[in-house]
This record gives sequence, structure tokens and C-alpha cells, in this order.
Amino acid sequence: MVLKNPFIAFEHDVYALTRQGQEELRGGGTSLSAADLELLVRADGRATVAQIAASMQALPAQAVAQACVRLARAGLLDLATNLQDDSLDFTDFFSDKPRAAPSQEELARAKAEASTGVSSLKEQGYYVCIARRRILPHLPAIGGGRSAIVVEDDPQLGALLKACLESEGFSVRLAANRNEVLSALREPPLPDIVLLDVVLPDIDGFDVLLRMRQHQALKSVAVVMVTSQATREAVLKGLARGAEGYITKPVEPATLIKAVLAVLGVQEGPRVK
Amino acid sequence: MSSDALRRELDALSAEYRSRLPAKLAEIHALWFDLASGAIPAARVIDLRRELHSIAGSAKTFGVAAVGEIAAAAESLLDPFWQHGALPEPAGRAELTRLIDALQRAAATV
Repeated sequence: MVLKNPFIAFEHDVYALTRQGQEELRGGGTSLSAADLELLVRADGRATVAQIAASMQALPAQAVAQACVRLARAGLLDLATNLQDDSLDFTDFFSDKPRAAPSQEELARAKAEASTGVSSLKEQGYYVCIARRRILPHLPAIGGGRSAIVVEDDPQLGALLKACLESEGFSVRLAANRNEVLSALREPPLPDIVLLDVVLPDIDGFDVLLRMRQHQALKSVAVVMVTSQATREAVLKGLARGAEGYITKPVEPATLIKAVLAVLGVQEGPRVK
Repeated sequence: MSSDALRRELDALSAEYRSRLPAKLAEIHALWFDLASGAIPAARVIDLRRELHSIAGSAKTFGVAAVGEIAAAAESLLDPFWQHGALPEPAGRAELTRLIDALQRAAATV
């Protein structure tokens, strides 16, 4: 891969956080200005310099470009294309390599959540754990709407989930099997959320979840399991592997929309009763 | 999309699902008949379980609760067996036949 020079910025360039940039955002002791921090948050690997400038009031694109170069020189940003091979490599995504199991801490937390979650399932028909693994605050994509991937092998049910998300402004990609999951994940932009069925023709949804959580680019993408499996063990499995939400079938559109928006921290109410 | 538009789309999806359901259940019936008669390998029970699971999850969503409940009962009957590529014992097979027949009857009333 030929790396582009990140120290010359054009309006159409797309910047993303480097690993150092991610650590800077997570750390509590940053010395960056508020404007620089906002720029780091908005450099999401999808928005161009011009789109970021349009979203940051009173800042011309030239100033944003200069700030991007300055933050790139500090090692906090790089051109998204330069980071892509490291972050969007799917070569081993479905390999049979052994994958790390959830840690004891994750298991203990998931057990506690699963117990209350199953109670919630019985009472409300759904269970949501809001963004417990998200590191960065959710920001709607600049210059475009939110996007989602629906992994569901029943075509009518997939269409229903798609319609629900589209009603809230999401652009939706559908996947029904292993190859389609891989294609959907490879296709830009990275989704804001994935609705994930468990029983699929040639892959287990829990396995997809685990592999997403171990993938550089996908580990912070919100995942909501949408499944018929409502046992405590199944909820525990989903939560221990890092799902933000767990919704049981039958799918109630208003509940689904409410759960998705809650996971993403979007303050909108469901439109369908 | 407005709530009315979404509701219309969901209604259309529901109607489409119901119209396709009899054919889907006929496929399940044929698959079970082939499995029970030994016409296809017992390992194909995994396909039967997945089809029943799919119907169990989707039928209630599209307002055909009775079909969903019967499919869920049939799926749970296969639970101890499908991962081993095995069929239930004779009594279990008879019960499965009864449930799969009941599925088709329920679909006829949709």
C-alpha cells in the first residue's frame, strides 16, 4: 500500500484517529484545546475536511485542514486511507484461529446484567444495556445519515427490521449468511449499529459478535442481538461477548426502534405503536 | 418515513409473509417426511431445526402466533438431537409428525 502524506490536507481528505489519538481522547489529562478535541471526535474516518468544517461553526475549511495537519504532526490523526489496512483487514475475520474468550471480569459483569436482563425480558420483552463498551460518544455521521447492518436470514423479517431503521433515517445493508456479513462489514461506511440474529445458515451470530469485538475497526460498533433465544444463558453469552442490547423475537417495531435509539444515545421517540 | 408510511410498509410485509407461509410450511413438511422415511441423511435435521426456528421467530412477529408457537414446540423437541445429526426416538418422531401436521393446518387458517 502506498501511504499518502498526511501533512498536506485537502478539502476532500478524510482523517481518522491514530491509536495515539484514541488514547488522547480516552485519557483524562489532555492538554488539547476544546476545538482540537472536537476535531479529534469528528475525524471519524468518514467525514471529509470540508464536511467537518461545515459542522464546526465559523471555521473555514482551510483552518480545519491546517488543524488536521497539526494534529497529524502530533501523531494524533492520519489520513483514513493510511490507517485502513491496519483497521479494515478482514482476512482472518472468519478464520478458525482460536479467539480469546471473554475475561473473568466481563463474565462476572455479564452474569449480573443477564440476571436483571432476563427479568426485564419477561416484563418488557426486551433488554437494553446502553453503550457499555463504547469509548467515543456517538455522533451522527457528518454529511450523511446513520447507517446500520441487519444480519437476518428470514427475508421478510430482515425487510421489517430494515423498514424500522429506515423510518429513523438509517441507511441499511442486509446480510443473511457468512459471505454477506463479510461483504456488508467491508462496505463503507462503518455501521453505527448492527442488528444481529443468532441462528444463521452457516455462521453463529454470537461468533460474529465475538469476532467484531476483537476487530480493530469494528470493536466499538454497537451491536444489538435480535433473536428467539431468550434463556439466561443466551443473554449471558451475548452480553459477555459485548452486545449493547438484546431483543427477543417476536419483534415489536416500536420496542426495536426505542432500543436502537437508546443504545446509540439518540433522543427520539418511537413513531410506531 | 412517516409513521403512517412505516405502518403501511409493515402491513404489506405482513401480508407478503402470510401469503408465503403455506409454501414454506409445505417445504418443512416435505423435509420432515424425507428425514423420517430415510430418503435423506439424518444430518439434514439441522436444516429442519433451522427452518422451524426461523418460523418460530418470525410468525409471531407477523401476527401468526399460533403457527409460531407450534413451530417453537417442534424446534424444542429437536433440541437434544439436531447437534448430533440424529432424529428423535419413535415416540418423539410421532409427536413431531403431529406438530408438523398441525403447522400446516394452522397455516390453512391464516
